[in-house]
Amino acid sequence: MNHSRIGTLEAICLILSVIIIRTVLSLPKNILAITGSASIINLVYVGLIMLLLVYFIYRLFKKFPGMDIIDISEVLGGSVLKKIVGFIFIFYFIVSSSIFLRNFCECLRIVYYPSTSILFVILFFIIALCATNYLSFNASLKANLIITPIALGSIIFLFVANFRHFSPQRIFPLLGNGIFETFVTGLGNISSFSGIVFLYFLPPLLKEPQKFKKVAITSVVLSVIYLIITVSIVLFMFPYFVKTDEVMPLYSAATYIEFGSFFQRLESVFLLIWMLVLACYLGIISKFVLLIFRKITNIKEFKPAILPVGLCILAVSLLPKNYATAKFYETDIYPYLMIGIVCIMSFLILLLASFRRKRKVGDSIE
Amino acid sequence: MDFKKILDSFTWKPHEAYDFSIAQVEEKSIKDENTSKPLEEKKKVFPSLDVNLEYIKTRYNTLINSDIIIREFTLLAHNKQYKAFLLFIDGMVDSNLINDFILKPLMLRNSANTFDGGKDRIISEAVTNNITVRKVKKFDMTEYIASRLLPQNSITEEQEMDTIISGVNSGNCALFIDTLEFAFDIEVKGFKQRSIDSPNNEIVIKGPQEAFVENIRTNTSLLRRITNTEELIIENIEVGKVTKTKCAVCYLENITNSDLVAEVKYRLNNLEVDSLLSSGELEQLIIDDNQIGVPEILSTERPDKTAKHLLQGRVVVLVNGSPYSLIMPATFIDFMSSPEDTNLKPYFANFLRVLRFLASIITLLLPGFYVAVTSFHQEILPTELLYSILSARETVPFPVIFEIFIMEVSFELIREAGLRVPSPIGPTIGIVGALVLGQAAVSANIVSPILIIIIALTGIASFAIPDFSFGFHLRFFRFLFVLLGYIAGFLGISIGLFVYLSVLCNIRSFGVPFLAPFAPAINSKGNGYFIPPIWKQEYRATYMAPKKEKSQEHISMKWKQK
Amino acid sequence: MNKIVRNIFILLVIIVFIVAFSPSYTSLNIDNLAYVIALGIDVGENEDFNISFQFTTGSSTSDSGSSEKSPLIVNSVEASSIDSAINLMNSYLAKKISLSHCRLIIFSEEVASKGISDAIYTLANDSQVRHSANIIVSKSTAKSYIENSTPILENLITKYYEIFPNSSKYTGYIYNATFADFLNQYLCNTCEPFAILGGVNTNASVSDAGTHSSDVTTMKSTNTPFSGDRGAENLGIAVFKDDKLVGELTAIETLCLSILRGDTDSFLISVPDPDNPEKLLDIKISNEGHKKIKVDIVNGSPYIRFEAKFTGRVYSMKNNAHYLDDTTLNMISNAANEYLEEALTQYLYRTSMEFKSDISGFGKYALSSFLTAKDFEDYDWQNRYVDSTFKVTIDTTIQSGFLINET
Repeated sequence: MNHSRIGTLEAICLILSVIIIRTVLSLPKNILAITGSASIINLVYVGLIMLLLVYFIYRLFKKFPGMDIIDISEVLGGSVLKKIVGFIFIFYFIVSSSIFLRNFCECLRIVYYPSTSILFVILFFIIALCATNYLSFNASLKANLIITPIALGSIIFLFVANFRHFSPQRIFPLLGNGIFETFVTGLGNISSFSGIVFLYFLPPLLKEPQKFKKVAITSVVLSVIYLIITVSIVLFMFPYFVKTDEVMPLYSAATYIEFGSFFQRLESVFLLIWMLVLACYLGIISKFVLLIFRKITNIKEFKPAILPVGLCILAVSLLPKNYATAKFYETDIYPYLMIGIVCIMSFLILLLASFRRKRKVGDSIE
Repeated sequence: MDFKKILDSFTWKPHEAYDFSIAQVEEKSIKDENTSKPLEEKKKVFPSLDVNLEYIKTRYNTLINSDIIIREFTLLAHNKQYKAFLLFIDGMVDSNLINDFILKPLMLRNSANTFDGGKDRIISEAVTNNITVRKVKKFDMTEYIASRLLPQNSITEEQEMDTIISGVNSGNCALFIDTLEFAFDIEVKGFKQRSIDSPNNEIVIKGPQEAFVENIRTNTSLLRRITNTEELIIENIEVGKVTKTKCAVCYLENITNSDLVAEVKYRLNNLEVDSLLSSGELEQLIIDDNQIGVPEILSTERPDKTAKHLLQGRVVVLVNGSPYSLIMPATFIDFMSSPEDTNLKPYFANFLRVLRFLASIITLLLPGFYVAVTSFHQEILPTELLYSILSARETVPFPVIFEIFIMEVSFELIREAGLRVPSPIGPTIGIVGALVLGQAAVSANIVSPILIIIIALTGIASFAIPDFSFGFHLRFFRFLFVLLGYIAGFLGISIGLFVYLSVLCNIRSFGVPFLAPFAPAINSKGNGYFIPPIWKQEYRATYMAPKKEKSQEHISMKWKQK
Repeated sequence: MNKIVRNIFILLVIIVFIVAFSPSYTSLNIDNLAYVIALGIDVGENEDFNISFQFTTGSSTSDSGSSEKSPLIVNSVEASSIDSAINLMNSYLAKKISLSHCRLIIFSEEVASKGISDAIYTLANDSQVRHSANIIVSKSTAKSYIENSTPILENLITKYYEIFPNSSKYTGYIYNATFADFLNQYLCNTCEPFAILGGVNTNASVSDAGTHSSDVTTMKSTNTPFSGDRGAENLGIAVFKDDKLVGELTAIETLCLSILRGDTDSFLISVPDPDNPEKLLDIKISNEGHKKIKVDIVNGSPYIRFEAKFTGRVYSMKNNAHYLDDTTLNMISNAANEYLEEALTQYLYRTSMEFKSDISGFGKYALSSFLTAKDFEDYDWQNRYVDSTFKVTIDTTIQSGFLINET
């Protein structure tokens, strides 16, 4: 089936869309809180590490052509491990998407819908999520291919339009909060690259599997560039952003844009674009949840599971008592989840499986 | 009405989704092939009639091609009988001419063809020294037929098959006779010029001014005349158990993807309907259902546009009795382009395309945006504009949503009424609509003038979209965006936009993604939304997966090379 | 059957959404909002604050095309905070107040010297407040400032509010100090905030021009030589230290601030004529864009160097002028250099010694002398600024006159 596969560009956009959603929320501020004015240096440093990691992932996947992480964990630990890993990923996807959804909707509600219950704001996205999932497999991926470049354009526009508000001197002091914070504690910023998680599922879905390496490397490089742009918007525009805690730093930056007296306060247009990205992201996440679900349960058709997944995301996103709790989950819990599951657990599975395979091959030779 | 039935509608029942897609041609397998056919040796007319017949039949695919007519008959010449056949294309020739002046003199016994004298005519005789030198002219069958049997004004004897065939393609008829190494190219052109009219609904400034008519034969002949190639296959398929409406499936055999052709024929052949009266009905019968009513088939009354798409490797279906051709598959770009585009310089054509894209966005979103901005996001308005809206709305008793709804509905009413009224009183509708609903409604403080501008802009933009049905689709869906903008401002609009985009991405028109080449991203080789200059259009659209990708040489303007 | 149920379901969802969002709709709908265009904050008699709101109704254009000046409405209310004032006003007006088109935020001198951080935070908390709104500290009460600010050349007062800060680009006598800048400068540890100094000119009513100065070194709001239809005027800068008003800048000092922050493109100075020191020469100086600020930490105190290059053309024409002559031009250049250097140095020492407030924002140039953020915090720039030493170097090139060069 040719059309249910993912093209190279679509895969790259898929990985970027997650990062866009996170930067629209509080990611730039979180990075700045850890590394201060050294954030750009830190991002380059973290990006290099990520590049290395992704390269290893690529090398390891090369040994398992046409398999994703679920298949590989089956190779490693049989169907039990497969199910465990599958559910961990489902948990990760649902939790992370509902955290983002909740936070974004809280911000929306503060700005535009003060007297509407948060439930209905979230429900809008859930309806979009379910509606698109009933379409064929990669409809939302294709839509993402159109929306992500628009969102990237919006960020670049934000950068250019705010250029006169920048004071580039804020890149100093060069080491920010100190060497230790920049290079050791700052390693936590690796969680910014949350889109990498899709790399573990891409190999069997790619239209041209030989381009997996290209997808992986390009998306990491683009992510680094993108993160540097967003972080520098916040760093150069706002003095020590950490002092005040504004809901969405990029949204605040958008309120500064003005061209003459006619084009002012364009932030709602930016929000419009970012809402599109969020809807897209949710569509994709739920699609992957369904894919994993189908894989671990061996069901033929996942359409009946669409509504439960949507309701699941809705329920989890309503769990936090208030915005503060939701924010806490996003800034303090999510990075650990991401590093734990994406960077460590999956990588270990890959590594162990490849050792096991090597030994098996070695055994068979003997 | 029992409860279980209601519950049933929430339970899931598996259904097989119909799924057809064209296998994309692998990137590597595309050779940089020459556009012209691999040079065949030039075939000459064979002396044996049967060989000629076979050759013509394969060349023209007569088994499936419906308008190629081969009339076999026995020719009486010189009081002897010869086998012969006549080749012509139905619809392009004048059949009276063929009947009266070709078949009649050749077949019926008359004084000319029963003449059997002058076998070896003695032209001159000279006797010198008792030796008689006779100049004898051998009996020449060819000349005999040409000069005595065919009372036609223009007859040429041809030996080359290609010349004969191109003559046939342009509306001549070819006469092959057994034992002769010649064929006659007889001019019997007879297009139905009179009945062809200029197009009413798709008007261009620079371009041909002819349109399809109701008669399918005339329409096929129009296509044949423009394409002028024997690779054009026109197959007949009858649809409708009662009406048995003739439909013609047209495609270029060496270009169009054969899967695509097979799919179109499959769908046409499997229609269990009693009647088929128009191409609009057929269109709905053969497309994949999409929930939002996006047209998936291009429907046009222009033969030149149809031929252009044929040459790009698409399939065209003509329905007898309908002056519209259906072009499939069709993508978003096709609905946004006008046949005029390639006649203009690329700058201007692309400017027009930008304009049309803007028009489609305005049609779809402007009223919704207006409602959203005035209800939720006033800060985006410049302060002066805000105050002019405020002062305009001061005396209006209705909320924005109601106001916009009244005006949109009355606009659609004016449009519909303007279509339906007899043409002599047509202008009245315009006057009534513009004066009463525009001017008077504003003076009576029922709607605000700014809203009139919004509605008018939306209306104008919707008519700037070249394809009528696509414009209709956008006009219909703007109501949804008005509703969404009213419910939740930009949140509603963005969710609506996202679902709309996803559905668009999901649509495949005969296996071709509707939004190709953007989503999925395909290297379209110069067939994107913006058209390159004509010399750069080297390839056919890759997403159609044509058999022959290259449409012109890398350097088409050979004259520049020196 | 299936279809009917589905359609009913969709209809229900739509109705539920309309119901759910309708409170937001009513509270944000264009018909239900009253747009404040200027917000004045005074000290109240009984309560903490006396808040004034200025509204306008859009200019009503008649069919003939002539439009009248739109009426201005000023309402004020005493309350304990800005938000409660807005709340009280809502019930008085029977329309909801929206600050989304508020162009001016005016603090009276009294409020400003008490500290305005709470008010600023409150306003920053409101998503509707425009970041490009200007902050004005009024020498008279905010209410009288608002009452006296009427448009002269424009029909709609918002137009006036929008364009008056732009005059800083070519005069330098005011600075386009916006709400966002104020907030950022207040929050950062490398600079201090400032606002536009406004006031009500009494010249308009009292015909006593003798007490008013026309000298740029002392000219500021309420001390100006203007007389006209509008009472409210904006000239000069109000200097803050943290969130408290500590001083005022005169016109020429404001110009210095504009030069240092690069806000002005061109400006006019009057220097003593080298030929005839009693007379003044008007020179139009344009910013060449070549500006260098360097901050070093010498012996623990900042050493700030400022270098700038300008070009200028002479406006003043007199008998016997030779504005193409090199020596004349050099003399004028030197005079201009001296004048600017003196003005800048005076301004800088005034900010450091008198106000102890780094409104010019030198702190960010000092950042590169430190390795980590903690070092900089330990240095405590905002309080060390007092010890600064300044060196100003101006290089002006006078090019010529305008149309006439020789008389």
